[in-house]
Amino acid sequence: MNYAIETNNLSKFYGKVRALHKVNLRVRHGEVYGFLGLNGAGKTTAIRTMLGMIRPSMGNVKVLDQVISPGGGGPWAKIGHLVESPAAYPELTVKENLEIARRMHKIQNHKAVDDVIEKLSLSFYADRKAGTLSSGNFQRLGLARALLHKPELLILDEPANALDPAGIVEIRELLLSLAREHGVTVFMSSHILAEVDLLADRIGIIHKGELIEELDAARLEGLRSTQLVIEARDPAKALAALRDFEPAAVNSHITIKDRRAVRQPEMIATLLVNAGTPPTHLAVEQENLEEYFLRLTK
Amino acid sequence: MKNFTAALWAEILKMRRSKVPLVSAIGFCMAPLAGGLFMIILKNPEAAKSFGLITAKAQLLTGTADWPSLFGFLAQAVAAGGMILFSIVTIWVFGREFSDHTVKELLALPTSREAIVTAKFVVITIWAVLATILIFGVEVAIGKLIVIPGWSNELLRTSFINILGTAILTIPLMSLVALIACAGRGYLAPFGWAILTLFIANLSVILGWGDWVPWAIPGLFSGAAGPRSEVLGTHSYIGLMITSLMGILALYHWWRFADQTK
Repeated sequence: MNYAIETNNLSKFYGKVRALHKVNLRVRHGEVYGFLGLNGAGKTTAIRTMLGMIRPSMGNVKVLDQVISPGGGGPWAKIGHLVESPAAYPELTVKENLEIARRMHKIQNHKAVDDVIEKLSLSFYADRKAGTLSSGNFQRLGLARALLHKPELLILDEPANALDPAGIVEIRELLLSLAREHGVTVFMSSHILAEVDLLADRIGIIHKGELIEELDAARLEGLRSTQLVIEARDPAKALAALRDFEPAAVNSHITIKDRRAVRQPEMIATLLVNAGTPPTHLAVEQENLEEYFLRLTK
Repeated sequence: MKNFTAALWAEILKMRRSKVPLVSAIGFCMAPLAGGLFMIILKNPEAAKSFGLITAKAQLLTGTADWPSLFGFLAQAVAAGGMILFSIVTIWVFGREFSDHTVKELLALPTSREAIVTAKFVVITIWAVLATILIFGVEVAIGKLIVIPGWSNELLRTSFINILGTAILTIPLMSLVALIACAGRGYLAPFGWAILTLFIANLSVILGWGDWVPWAIPGLFSGAAGPRSEVLGTHSYIGLMITSLMGILALYHWWRFADQTK
């Protein structure tokens, strides 16, 4: 099977420091891949090796069927990227920064810059110097440069950084539309796990330089633990009544992970009523991505 | 070629929009202004003293107020000042990509890294040549204004070749400044290097080895230590070329293979 991104035993060492260790990552064409990891886990190092900015110590990276060569060769005309924080020449305007990118990408269409400015809602700032932009608009400029040449593959490091809530939704919809309607493959790292949860078809989790999990979002649903969350008028009495299910008191809640209780919450309700402490809240809750991620990386 | 044209267009735009090249060129104009001031003083030391332009110490100034002295002064100023000012512009052209973190936007592009480095060098060369022509023009205007003897078209031609030659011999040495700006990922290390090479150049000339030290060659070419045919040999130019070429090759190699983590 052909992959948009494929890493084979990708490793990177800085002296004795292991930044990446035998990472075997597969990103399918047209999917949105969420790349998760704590700070220093190796996300940016992995992204930089995909873009030919860092030479692997071992293994290789294949992007759009081309092995990324140590000398910077790669299918760059088909790839848009945003690595770490965006960067731009502060004394040049938004338009001039993008015009440089247009020429460097050898895009013949002179309207490409205006089109991407409009797409990223930067029209009002087109003639402003990049150095005077707010961090949110600076991020938009970085995204505009990544999208300017209508790439087949987008490699984005924290694309939602510095954006306001409306901007986050806007960029999420833009990325989803690119992936779903135009078949663009999106590889994105993010620390906003809820964002990844909403966008990603597949998720890879990197920890201490190793890819510890790579799975479909649908499969993730099944892996996330579920629990029964209970609130009762008399928590102490409720805890005593539920002791067979190994309840845990968390703040004002009682949580139970026992499968019997999760599958039959009505049984728990009956138990509590019979114990004289009827539940005021009873809900089956699924672990969110953040909790799942933290559980894996502990 | 299109690769290079796009990169050159980008570098020229950055150069035009920045104040650094302009301020550096204005700074370079201090050389002909200082030359003009010395000519005024040498032409009429008593009047200069009465105007408070000089003190007793300045009477150490020797020479005559004429066109050969004026051009000679400018050539020496280009040799010393050029090394520093060309370095400043080189450090800015290369080092700014690391300080502004824009280097990562130059690495994964259809335009090759080699084309980008070459374009940077071309704009540095264009700037250095234009700045040298500018200060030469300013010096001619000042000389005409203060009216000094010794003008001839032949002197103008040989002085222009001398001054431009000094600048042209300085430019290739900027490859090492650029390399250190890139490897040091910023401004400080290459600036330290520029000062160090100026020091080494002066020391080597004092010790009599200047003809073997690439950074002393532009100064010796300018005539600062006597007629160039007496102080420089073919080995001097070859040494400068080899050193500069090694710098350029190392720079290309660095851009191609070094890990870019900034």
